[in-house]
Amino acid sequence: MGGKFATLIAARAREGAAGLSGLVGVVLVAGSPPSPEPMDENRRAEMLRWFDDPAQLTEKAQKFIDDNTNDGLPEEARRQAIVDFVRTSPEAWKGWLAKGSREDWSAQAGVIALPCLIIAGEDDGDLREAAQRLKNAPHFRTVDSAVVPRAAHMIPQEQPDHLAELICKFCQTISATALPVQFVRLMASDRVSDRTRCAMLARHSGPGRTDGSVLSQAQLGVLAAVVARILPGASEPSDLARRLDAGLATGRGDGWRFADLPADVEAWALGLDTLAAAEPKFARLQGDVQDAILRAISTGDFDTQNEPSRLSANGMRLWFEDVASEAARLWMSLPATWAQIGYDGFATGDRGPLQGYQETAADVPEAWRLPLGSVR
Amino acid sequence: MSAAHSPTGETDVVIVGSGAGGAPIAARLAQAGLSVTVLEAGRVFDSAEHTPDETTADLYWMEERLSGGQDPIAFGANNSGQGVGGSLLHWGAFCPRPDPRDLALESETGLGRDWPFGWDALASYIEAVEAVVGVSGAMNYPWGGSRFAYPPVMRNAPAHAMEKGAKAVGLTVSDAPAAVLSRDRLAGTTPFRGHCINCGACHQGCRTGAKGGADNSFLPMAVASGARIIANARVIDVERDVGGRIKAVIYRRHEQDHRLDCRALFLCAGGVETPRLLLNWGLGNASGEVGRNFMTHVATQVWGQFDADMSMNRGYPSSLISEQMVRPRDADFAGGYLIQSLGVMPVTLAGGFARGAGLWGAPLVERLRNYRRLAGIGINGECLPHDDNRLTLSDEVDDLGLRKARIDFSYGENERRLDAHARKTLTALWAAAGAQDIFAVARSAHTIGGCRMGDKSDGAVVDADGCSVEIDNLYLCDNSVFPSALSANPALTLMAVALRTADRFLHRTRTGDF
Repeated sequence: MGGKFATLIAARAREGAAGLSGLVGVVLVAGSPPSPEPMDENRRAEMLRWFDDPAQLTEKAQKFIDDNTNDGLPEEARRQAIVDFVRTSPEAWKGWLAKGSREDWSAQAGVIALPCLIIAGEDDGDLREAAQRLKNAPHFRTVDSAVVPRAAHMIPQEQPDHLAELICKFCQTISATALPVQFVRLMASDRVSDRTRCAMLARHSGPGRTDGSVLSQAQLGVLAAVVARILPGASEPSDLARRLDAGLATGRGDGWRFADLPADVEAWALGLDTLAAAEPKFARLQGDVQDAILRAISTGDFDTQNEPSRLSANGMRLWFEDVASEAARLWMSLPATWAQIGYDGFATGDRGPLQGYQETAADVPEAWRLPLGSVR
Repeated sequence: MSAAHSPTGETDVVIVGSGAGGAPIAARLAQAGLSVTVLEAGRVFDSAEHTPDETTADLYWMEERLSGGQDPIAFGANNSGQGVGGSLLHWGAFCPRPDPRDLALESETGLGRDWPFGWDALASYIEAVEAVVGVSGAMNYPWGGSRFAYPPVMRNAPAHAMEKGAKAVGLTVSDAPAAVLSRDRLAGTTPFRGHCINCGACHQGCRTGAKGGADNSFLPMAVASGARIIANARVIDVERDVGGRIKAVIYRRHEQDHRLDCRALFLCAGGVETPRLLLNWGLGNASGEVGRNFMTHVATQVWGQFDADMSMNRGYPSSLISEQMVRPRDADFAGGYLIQSLGVMPVTLAGGFARGAGLWGAPLVERLRNYRRLAGIGINGECLPHDDNRLTLSDEVDDLGLRKARIDFSYGENERRLDAHARKTLTALWAAAGAQDIFAVARSAHTIGGCRMGDKSDGAVVDADGCSVEIDNLYLCDNSVFPSALSANPALTLMAVALRTADRFLHRTRTGDF
């Protein structure tokens, strides 16, 4: 049941719900899917009667543990599990079995642009690894899977150390993408509309594996190397290159292009190919050597050997202007960059009374604002 | 896409475009009792849904245009708009009046082109527009005295710096005329509008309604008088009678074509789309003048870094102005320019630095990282018509099957000299204001000309009333009819020209000259 709720809450974060903007990932432990949970109907019918006779609750608890563990539980965990079971609200128990588990929320869940760690017990019944792949994995854009041996459904009680280790490792890998706490608090506040928050979160996540791509791996490599020189030390160049690639793939231009260049997708690919043809080792050159090449391109002095299948020197000059502008615009649109430069212009009001800025003069602060300099 | 234009309607007047050209005409003609239908390509916006997020704001005309010449114009978010309200949804609300001298630049200097009417013919319309949209400004404005209904909006940090620098170099400055309410305005002939909250997101759409736009002024007035506004309607063709007059407009909406019979057509689709449509239709272009005389404004900016936290995204950006350089004493060029304080959002700023200053590498990253300490000032300067600056049709077609616009533009000698003068003036001013690491960003703004207003005898596309010199029930009204660029930003002048065009049309209708 917890898994179904977790997925649906993550989906609300995607839609920009206030208070959820700090969410950076999801861990599903033997989680029930947003779609109807696979369950044997005879078993469902039997379990629906378990709370009818209060005198038999302890016995049922023992059966519940037997049914949902690989090899029972250690004594202390078993005692606690029985206490937990007996305390269960009969209405909630029946509600989940008769209704909640059968409800289909998969459309609302959609595909969530957050990394998800899906953990399955090796001996779980209906929710084992195969079911997890089929039912839960499609709802997340990036999925890591793990199977816990010698465990069924009650993994936290059966293999707590193993589970903790998996979660810790996952947190380490995703923490690099987390926005600073102070920034997240401002983003989550009533100073930001759901529409704005939703857009910021989607942009923060960036494109996924299934988002469009028009550049080859080789072209992406050259683009990343070029972007690394346009924006040195700014942001991970391969991430920026992939974002630019996905942006090109949408086919949504910026309202114009140079008449001397072909359509955007073709021009970007041609520019990268022209650079790679003239400088096959560009991506592996020293930074200052790369800069000298890009400087020649930017001034229209790059020798493209008059190869008709490539861009001309003037075409390369225009191409480089486009790449520099798009890369700079992209970097300055990222919430992570805003946190670094202390930009808080996104937090000027939701739909209700709009707050705006009280102060517009230099050096006059406001309590709610991000401090000058980067936030943590 | 049906071949048969299914639903057919009938109206006195079709107006294509709901912005600064179309909206005032719609209001005035509807008030005069005509049946008016406005076709708008974009969607309806609820002001509450606007977002300060530059990447998300969807008020701009983003269909592809091809830019050529020595100084190719960047279109997209910088220029035309879409949506009920047109470009006034995203305009900067900078609201200087046209300088009377600019309307007669050719008489004064022998360069450029005179307007077919002078300030006297425009003055009452300018005042009428100011009353409708609501303009804030200085009590004792140095260039025309007290005329503003609202006290000035708060100055932003770059405005304070500009005042300091201006004092040091002897330049007169003032709180700028802004179509932004500094106080709430109660509902009357226009809806309630809240005061400015200094959010700084004018270009992404005003959420309080403080900024005057067609959506909160002329369009509600038009609707109150019975005008009909059809959103998401793309005009694709016109039908003409045997005499060549327009008899119907064909538009596409939700993939279905509609015919609208009309007695007159007002094309107010914007500085690029209007000449583009005429060229696509081969309409009103016997003189071959459509698309010629394409102009923009020299809109150079000068930037610098300050010790203080400027956070220039706070407050109305263009809150300080100087009109002193509309005729600089030491000019070696015709015309002049306005100076204004700036406040630019991060994404737009990054693109401007990369394209207009050629910045990349560490110099780009270091400046952008210092976003909160940056501040700039900019100009809006005269641009003369030139034979090589022209809007033509590309061989590429858009989704509607219409050929895309190609705009070739290069600065001429006059623009280069004006630009050099401005860079020198602004750099000195910014140094005196305490800016360090000062640099200039080359930039142009606004799409002007292409369907010049003038006399039939000199090859104009429309006459002084905005009527096509060839087709007497075709009127044009947007920046494309401007004979010259003027140093003032175009929107206020355009809205005034629109009211005048409507009055001239009504006069012709009454006198039977139609």
